[in-house]
Amino acid sequence: MDALGYLLAGFQTALTAKNLLLCFQGCLWGTAVGVLPGLGPMAGMALLLPITFTLDPVGGVIMLAGIFYGAMYGGSTTSILLRIPGEAASIVTCIDGHEMARNGRGGAALTIAAVGSFVGGTLSVAGLMLFAPYLADVMLAVGPAAEAVMMAVALLIVTAVSTSPPVKTFTMICAGLLVGSVGLDSLTAKPRFMFGNLALADGVSFVALAIGLFGLSELLMNLRDGVTERPRTPGLRELVPTAQEARESVGPTLRGSAIGFVFGVIPGVSHIVSTFVSYAIEKKLSRTPERFGKGAVAGLAGPETANNATTGSAMIPLLVLGIPAIPSTAILLSALQNHGIQPGPLLLTEHPEVFWGLIASMYVGNAILVVLNLPLVGLFVRLLRTPMAYLAPIVILICAIGVYSVNGSGFDLAVLFVAGWVGYLLRRFDYDIAPALLAIVLGDRLEAGFRRALTISGGDYAIFFKGPAVRIFLGILVAVIVAKLWAARRVGRPPAP
Amino acid sequence: MKTVARTLSVLAVAALPAWGADFPAKPITMIIPAAPGGGTDTFGRKVAEAAEKILKQQITVENRGGGSGTVGIAQVLTAKPDGYTVGFVWNSPITTIPHSLEVPYTKADYSALMSIGYSSYVMCVAPDFPANSGKELIEAIRKNPGKYTLGNDGLGGTMQLAAERIFAKAGVKVRYVPFKGAGDTAKNFLGGHIDIYGGSIPPIQQHARAGKAKCLLLTSAEPNEALPQASGLKDVGMADEETVLWWGLIVPRRVPAAVQKTLESAFLKAAATPEVKEIMANKGATNKPMDAAATNRLIDTEYAALEKVAKSIGLEKKAK
Repeated sequence: MDALGYLLAGFQTALTAKNLLLCFQGCLWGTAVGVLPGLGPMAGMALLLPITFTLDPVGGVIMLAGIFYGAMYGGSTTSILLRIPGEAASIVTCIDGHEMARNGRGGAALTIAAVGSFVGGTLSVAGLMLFAPYLADVMLAVGPAAEAVMMAVALLIVTAVSTSPPVKTFTMICAGLLVGSVGLDSLTAKPRFMFGNLALADGVSFVALAIGLFGLSELLMNLRDGVTERPRTPGLRELVPTAQEARESVGPTLRGSAIGFVFGVIPGVSHIVSTFVSYAIEKKLSRTPERFGKGAVAGLAGPETANNATTGSAMIPLLVLGIPAIPSTAILLSALQNHGIQPGPLLLTEHPEVFWGLIASMYVGNAILVVLNLPLVGLFVRLLRTPMAYLAPIVILICAIGVYSVNGSGFDLAVLFVAGWVGYLLRRFDYDIAPALLAIVLGDRLEAGFRRALTISGGDYAIFFKGPAVRIFLGILVAVIVAKLWAARRVGRPPAP
Repeated sequence: MKTVARTLSVLAVAALPAWGADFPAKPITMIIPAAPGGGTDTFGRKVAEAAEKILKQQITVENRGGGSGTVGIAQVLTAKPDGYTVGFVWNSPITTIPHSLEVPYTKADYSALMSIGYSSYVMCVAPDFPANSGKELIEAIRKNPGKYTLGNDGLGGTMQLAAERIFAKAGVKVRYVPFKGAGDTAKNFLGGHIDIYGGSIPPIQQHARAGKAKCLLLTSAEPNEALPQASGLKDVGMADEETVLWWGLIVPRRVPAAVQKTLESAFLKAAATPEVKEIMANKGATNKPMDAAATNRLIDTEYAALEKVAKSIGLEKKAK
């Protein structure tokens, strides 16, 4: 049977009443955990993992995968409406998405996000189907040295998502790197800045930091500004993007799909890195870069598409190599193993029904999600009309429950509230928070890759110049630095008389 | 008449004072010191399910991840020692972590009640590596001291100490490169960035079958049928140096002896049920239930051996 035949067989599997229902369940539950701050795809999948014991392996992974990419859809909702990142990949969505909502374009923003998610998700499944084996080889070629160089590139690009002056951005990146170093050293397991507190062993809770710094600080800002009323319920016309907005979102959506899919190859932090790389590229390409951070359509459409487009490529290491690249796919792996199926190079020949059934279900699931999410837009936007006096306490309570549910740790709750106040103070003084959060994620990988590479080479720095993957990333690094210097020179020059 | 007698006897049992004979009289909480979804969590939940039927009492599973498992264990050991809070743990936070990190408990704080079995670690090399058995692997390393890199789950982690225990005994040297979990190690091994894969069996098993890796040495004494080429430590004359990943049940030491006994026998029976055996086999683990005495002996030898290894490679305990 050729690939097309397998795919058709896959659709036959995915479209049985039972599997369709499971796919729908997964998508629905995924949207829910994505919308609720703190509960990410990880928690959502782990909660339903025991159910898969009673299902056949295909049905089980179809449902769990539905939660995984469904959460990516849902994650944008609270980011846009309340500036609370539902999960880490939605941090960049907060920036322009929420500004759009403040400008009364919340409905349009949600619609653009949902459509972008659909396009990104679907294109990435197509990519997964066509290129999986080749991309698996590329993935393997990226070793610790290449990863370190790549993370350095990513850190440089982070500055693009900031709306504050370079000195402040740089300060926030350094602060992020410092906070990121708290916890057990990932290589030697030696405690760093833990002060004897075992709750800090795995580092400061990222979920608590993200929700606190972004979400709670936003509520506090509203308190200060005395915002008591939210905008009135928008009419139908305001839920639909204008022709202008739709036009502006096409390019970023398509580019975001490609960026997300390619960056999905990076293990571990792909869904996060792809969002701000997309943001940076859109800002560079835009004729009106000054609108970024103030509600630019491209600044929402690109990143939101990109984070959904990583879902397809995130499946590649799992399905082709049997190696989960991110925690969510580790749960999928666990579900398959529970049934005695070990994914890997032999999966395609030994269990084609799992591979193709899953791929077909991802096409179906993305369609389900867009149908599910578009009608919800109106409902979610109406929530915003709730007076702040009621909305704020409810949101705080939901955030607290979400954060607590991750580890059942009271310490994380303290982190959440302290982060809220710190975020408020920082924003009062015009420090943009996004670079700090992204630096926390990237710094850890940069350091680990750098030290691993040197451990492998026995301390020889030449390892950072060896191999095609490293050289390609070095080339990009140099290009980014040159571009930055060039831009700085242009800015530094006094305007022509 | 019979019914009356039965009713009376039930009443008589119910009227007995709470000496532990009526344990468990209320639901039991099982704390799993790891995030949901992993091996420990899956096994713990299956064992709890089986034990519920034997104890005729509900067992609520709670995940308390964080601190490499130490946070959850601390929580088990500070619970009321009445047997209604138990911990389902893997060995690392009790026999490995304490050598590199100050933890809020010692061996005197808990009793192990039983263990369900183990999963061996394995060392694999690329197909063109000049060795085809465990013995040859050790000899190849001996000829090139400090040349080969061995990827593992983290310095001071169980896999690294397991490997070092073997290599120290053989008097050979490798360079350890720590990764985030066995999957990450497998990826870097397959990409050719490190020479030797060190980690659990499932991530590498298919690659070995597909001819992309030669798995040569297990850290268990016995060989494993999933990897026929790999030698067990018995084959290389080092059966005493076995270190594996294993799972078991612990309670605070002050739990009454009668209650400990009840839990021990119930969970031993649970571990031997077909459901538990099946899930362990599916995840590449070996089902081998051991009672309290044997498990506590295992902890003592393993703790002492790993402490020695940890000291010899300069892992020092950091004060709080």
